[in-house]
Amino acid sequence: MTRAEFLTRLKRGLAGLPAAQIADIVADYEAHFNDAQEAGRSESEVAAALGAPERLAREQRAEQGVKRWEETKNPSAAAGAIFAILGLGAIDILFLLPLLMGVLGALFAFFMASIGIFVAGGVVTAVGPFAGPPGGPAVAFLLGIALMAGATALAAVTTLVTIGLVNGLVWYGRLHYRLLKPAIETQV
Amino acid sequence: MISNGPETKKRDAVTEAIEVQLKKGVLALCVLALLSKADSYAYEIASKLAKDIDMGEGTIYPLMRRMQSDGQVETYLVESQSGPPRKYYRLTEAGRASFTAQKAEWAAFVSAVENILGAAA
Repeated sequence: MTRAEFLTRLKRGLAGLPAAQIADIVADYEAHFNDAQEAGRSESEVAAALGAPERLAREQRAEQGVKRWEETKNPSAAAGAIFAILGLGAIDILFLLPLLMGVLGALFAFFMASIGIFVAGGVVTAVGPFAGPPGGPAVAFLLGIALMAGATALAAVTTLVTIGLVNGLVWYGRLHYRLLKPAIETQV
Repeated sequence: MISNGPETKKRDAVTEAIEVQLKKGVLALCVLALLSKADSYAYEIASKLAKDIDMGEGTIYPLMRRMQSDGQVETYLVESQSGPPRKYYRLTEAGRASFTAQKAEWAAFVSAVENILGAAA
């Protein structure tokens, strides 16, 4: 593989990242080729020692995805981190997908349930005292407040579980991604 | 009985995974060690490590990027007589502290493993 080919494939793999980051990453590898040339190594030799550009691009991408998730804990960063890690082939997507769908579905249901209970609590608080409930208006009012508090707690716990789950996935993916695999394969 | 096809394959995968994890864990420590002696640039770091611990040269770049975003190293540019300025890495205070801590941890780990290996032999 020539230097130009390596860089083209690397850029293709990085497409989608912010332009400044791509320029930065590409500059690193360009400098590597320059330094290697000074040391008298051929382009194809250097490209082989670097490893597949697509892989390197995936690793850089995963690094960025994880970084974004660590900085901002929002759903899009979570999705970005998970897909970047999946892109490494560290987690078998066919194995993980049904499991992930189930877990995400359950979490989503919990969120929906907490919203529903919250709304119901609001209605009981607002309307209950005037509807002549058993036990008097104060009981209905307190019951409504209790429902809303419970719903808030449920939502908070669900959020914590979701964050924990994404962190766990990221940790697992990082631990297992085969950063050094090409080096080991050539050795064997 | 143990050495039928899938079992051996599985064991190889485990050995390989251990090897990957060992090298990957140790790589960051080696980079910290090199930089604690002198500032350096990525190509120099990569060629030293590639020679001594047999790793893909390309791996150094994602690693340096991560160490930089973790605040363990920082970069500065040095004019070079040929071509564009070169990006040098140096350890930050945090990087130095992390190196001291990891080095101690590594020494303790190695001596513990050696004790066990020695006992088993």
